[in-house]
Amino acid sequence: MSQLQTRFFTDNKKYSVDDVPFSIPAASEVQELSNVINKLLEAKNGSHSQIEFDFLVRGQFLRTSLSNHMEAEGISTEDVVEIEYVERFTAPQPEECMMHDDWISSVEADSEWILTGSYDKTARIWSLEGKAVMTVAGHTDVVKDVAWVRRDGLTSLLLTASLDQTILLWEWNSERNKLKARHCCRGHAGSVDTIATDPTRTKFCSGSWDKMLKIWSAVATEEEEEVEEPPSRPRKKQKTEQLGLTRTPLMTLSGHNEAVSSVLWLDSEEICSASWDHTIRLWDAETGSVKTTLTGSKVFNHISYSPLCRRLASGSTDRHVRLWDPRSKDGSLVLLSLTSHSGWVTAVKWAPSHEHQLVSGSLDNLVKLWDTRSCKTPLYDVSAHEDKVLCVDWTDSRLMLSGGADNKLYTYRYTACETDAGA
Amino acid sequence: MGTVCVGGVYPAGCEKKRDTAAHSLLIGSGRGVFIEITHRCSPTLKWLTTSESFQLSRVCDIRNTVGNVPMEWYQDYPHIGYNLDGKKIFKPIRNKDELDEFLDKMENPDYWRTVHDKTTASDIRLTDEQVDLVHRLQKGQFGDVNFNEYEPSVDFFTNEVMIHPVTNRPQDKRSFIPSLIEKEKVSKLVHAIKMGWIKPRKPKETTPQYYDLWAKEDPNAILGRHKMHVPAPKMRLPGHEESYNPPPEYLLTEEERLVWEQQDAEDRKLPFLPQKHSCLRAVPAFSRFIHERFERCLDLYLCPRQRKMRVNVNPEDLIPKLPKPKDLQPFPTTMSLVYRGHTSLVRSISASPTGQWLVSGSDDFTVRFWEVNTGRCMKTLEVGGAVKSVAWNPNPAVCLVAVCFERTVLLLNPSLGDRLVVSSTDQLITAYEPPEEDKEQAVTWALSEGLEHNMGHRLTLTHPKAVKQVVWHGKGDYLSSVMPDNSSNLQVLIHQVSKRRTQNPFRKNKGLVQCVSFHPLRPYFFVATQRYVRVYNLIKQELTKKLMTNCKWISSMAIHPGGDNLICGSYDCRLAWFDLDLSTKPYKMLRHHKKALRGVAYHRNYPLFASGADDGSVIVCHGMVYNDLLQNPLIVPVKVLKGHQITHDLGVLDVTFHPTQPWVFSSGADTTIRLFT
Repeated sequence: MSQLQTRFFTDNKKYSVDDVPFSIPAASEVQELSNVINKLLEAKNGSHSQIEFDFLVRGQFLRTSLSNHMEAEGISTEDVVEIEYVERFTAPQPEECMMHDDWISSVEADSEWILTGSYDKTARIWSLEGKAVMTVAGHTDVVKDVAWVRRDGLTSLLLTASLDQTILLWEWNSERNKLKARHCCRGHAGSVDTIATDPTRTKFCSGSWDKMLKIWSAVATEEEEEVEEPPSRPRKKQKTEQLGLTRTPLMTLSGHNEAVSSVLWLDSEEICSASWDHTIRLWDAETGSVKTTLTGSKVFNHISYSPLCRRLASGSTDRHVRLWDPRSKDGSLVLLSLTSHSGWVTAVKWAPSHEHQLVSGSLDNLVKLWDTRSCKTPLYDVSAHEDKVLCVDWTDSRLMLSGGADNKLYTYRYTACETDAGA
Repeated sequence: MGTVCVGGVYPAGCEKKRDTAAHSLLIGSGRGVFIEITHRCSPTLKWLTTSESFQLSRVCDIRNTVGNVPMEWYQDYPHIGYNLDGKKIFKPIRNKDELDEFLDKMENPDYWRTVHDKTTASDIRLTDEQVDLVHRLQKGQFGDVNFNEYEPSVDFFTNEVMIHPVTNRPQDKRSFIPSLIEKEKVSKLVHAIKMGWIKPRKPKETTPQYYDLWAKEDPNAILGRHKMHVPAPKMRLPGHEESYNPPPEYLLTEEERLVWEQQDAEDRKLPFLPQKHSCLRAVPAFSRFIHERFERCLDLYLCPRQRKMRVNVNPEDLIPKLPKPKDLQPFPTTMSLVYRGHTSLVRSISASPTGQWLVSGSDDFTVRFWEVNTGRCMKTLEVGGAVKSVAWNPNPAVCLVAVCFERTVLLLNPSLGDRLVVSSTDQLITAYEPPEEDKEQAVTWALSEGLEHNMGHRLTLTHPKAVKQVVWHGKGDYLSSVMPDNSSNLQVLIHQVSKRRTQNPFRKNKGLVQCVSFHPLRPYFFVATQRYVRVYNLIKQELTKKLMTNCKWISSMAIHPGGDNLICGSYDCRLAWFDLDLSTKPYKMLRHHKKALRGVAYHRNYPLFASGADDGSVIVCHGMVYNDLLQNPLIVPVKVLKGHQITHDLGVLDVTFHPTQPWVFSSGADTTIRLFT
């Protein structure tokens, strides 16, 4: 059996081994390499306990045997192979399962509360422990997206977007558990499929089936803005059925040729939107003009942006999660395709604290946890759902969430390695 | 042979004789003598006469001076020439006749040595010396008796090199200096070689050259057919069973022998029965000899003697050049979503003009509305019968769905999509004002109220017969319904929603109507009966075209969004593409499905069309229609989409495309609707 000259190194001082080349069987896999490192550490430090490691060869995770990997990557077997090892990311542990009455269309969690939108025309607020705190009912149709706006002590502002073409801005007091609809944002001529709050927490952007993006103020005020009424509808009737004060958009961004499926803020001046017309567009939030257009070949379902690695991840109506560089000016280049799903990718979300990790949900009932350094095989498949996964989220407090058509919202606890988290 | 010429050099002895005998008859120069002898009867006698003439000449020396002229010239003269004195020599009086001649021959002993001299016309008797001379000459000897021809020779100029030269002349100077002429000639040759005027000789080929005898042979000539030799069919070599003492396993058992005997001669595996003989001596005469020879002759006689000229065509060249499906993307390739909820077979589906919703009608008496991108059933409406057909109004400013079941066509407002459109549609329906005079109409229009209105029902059109299909016009105001009935002219009705008016466009029954369709742009109306598709001009109210489908029974029809092309699906597994500008016959027939086609559809934007069939598959084809009228449509089958289960021998019942994306929906008998992307 052939042997390979390897040298192991790591960033984690706790697990560092001597910087000498080792001869390793070429057919060895992750488990054997992990055993080697553990042996070395035990020899160095008697109180060492067994730890699972993962190995990176030139920035790519080792998933097959070492020789196969090097052949696939085209690495010469003559030289000494530099292998980086990191502590293995442990499998996310399922924590809570929150039952809804209907399909869960969207989820957004912050450090204390989870907000979910559902096809039963309501949104719900849950505690991180899985306790239903509040039901936000007011829409006349399916709630398509939800978003937290801000939290001042016990008072929170939250948004719900619905198929009934409105976005409602709610004020919620968590201590008294009082909910009040503050504003009803009208102006879209189609179902509002996506909303995103800007980093300054004063504005939000919404994307709709009517191909428009609209920017609204997210500040709750007391005076009502003047709306040009549809002439056909009696004013009185409209008054009665409306919740809160009517609000009109600050700005309308038009340019997409098809429905807008996902929208997000890159920073406080830049909006990114994905659409059914196979494009991702970057907009200037001040002027409302298109800055860059990234063209794909399929309908985009969802996009996510990570400020850590400055990459855009997109899920589209095929099996791939694609990574884009939104700053690239030279056309629309897909940096990487993560391929393992067997159905449409409906939701993607970058890890808030890790530059390589993202989570994706798909119509094949699976939630996958990815590391961009291993684009063929995900780190973990989470097969908790029994039906289509429609939304995923990831909080700062080490919690992954996914909801789907089986009416269940799952939360998973994961433990990130100390070193990786800081990277 | 009239004359004998004897010529030669007279030896010295001869000269002597001439001097003495001046009366010699030999005339000529010093070098040669010609003797002319006229022979009489035989050569032996001739010599007699010659000597005789010599005698005569010696007696009377007459010499003729006429020279060597033919004596015939003097035939008519009395003289025969002139003597030396110039006097005429007269011919002697010859009185000798044949008898005298004979007597002379018999009696004269010197007759044999008598010769006739023509010049003097006298007989001369040769002397003994003259006879001797003649004898010697006849023998080839020298005339002179004394000449010794075998004298020893003296070698004056010998080939042997002597020490003394023959001549004492000194050598020439030119024998010591090179020749200028030769030098000039050589230099000319050298120049010519240099200039290439003279080519050096080709080296001789060492390989032996043979003459190809058959190089120019005509293959059609008689011998040519040897080349086209067809060998006679080979005879089978005898096997073990033909041995006189075959191994026991080749011998037939009793049952096998019975079977063999009962079989026809043609069916027998072996034409004979293997037999075992103890020794070669016991083998009888071969009984089948004549029979076998006869069969062999038949084989040879019936052997095909003509060589078949096989056409060498690469089979791949015969396949038409089609672009690869990979180059024709996008088209649906995989099943992405399954819309589950119906409990019976889904007869018909239709997508909303925005592409957000899908409506389906099923045999479970319900109509369901689906969200396309999630597969969520948004609404379920119970209707009072198995839904035969649903059609979403193609006008984006109107939100209406036509549903037909039993004898009813129901117009629904699903309240999906833009609220403004939904309310304006309701206003459009309620804004109707009935005309003053009520005309009798074929259907009754009823406005739904109360509970039904809340459910979404808006207008109910009650037909006199069961309705099979509803279809909208592109503008969304007219809709047509089909009530197939072979015995009536009331099969197709055209309704106008805004005026709540119904027309029966046809006065005559042209056959069982299968489906109808409106032209997307022009006021044409397509009616498909069992075998034909008729195209009517609605404004002129006349038949424009009649398309022959060559199908047994048309099941479905779709019009290209450009309006110039049409596809027809039929129950006999065929799909016919018509180019209306080209011909009334199908431009192309596709027979890709294994079972009856149930639904066909065109995509609104992409060059795609799809067909669904009872074999459970949807076949997507690339159907490019060019603006250039000269270029025929390009039809390439690109994908077979499978997914539907076959239930009660029914597979896919309807197909429809997403209005904006290259996605195709199919509804099946397995109660599901599937989306392929």
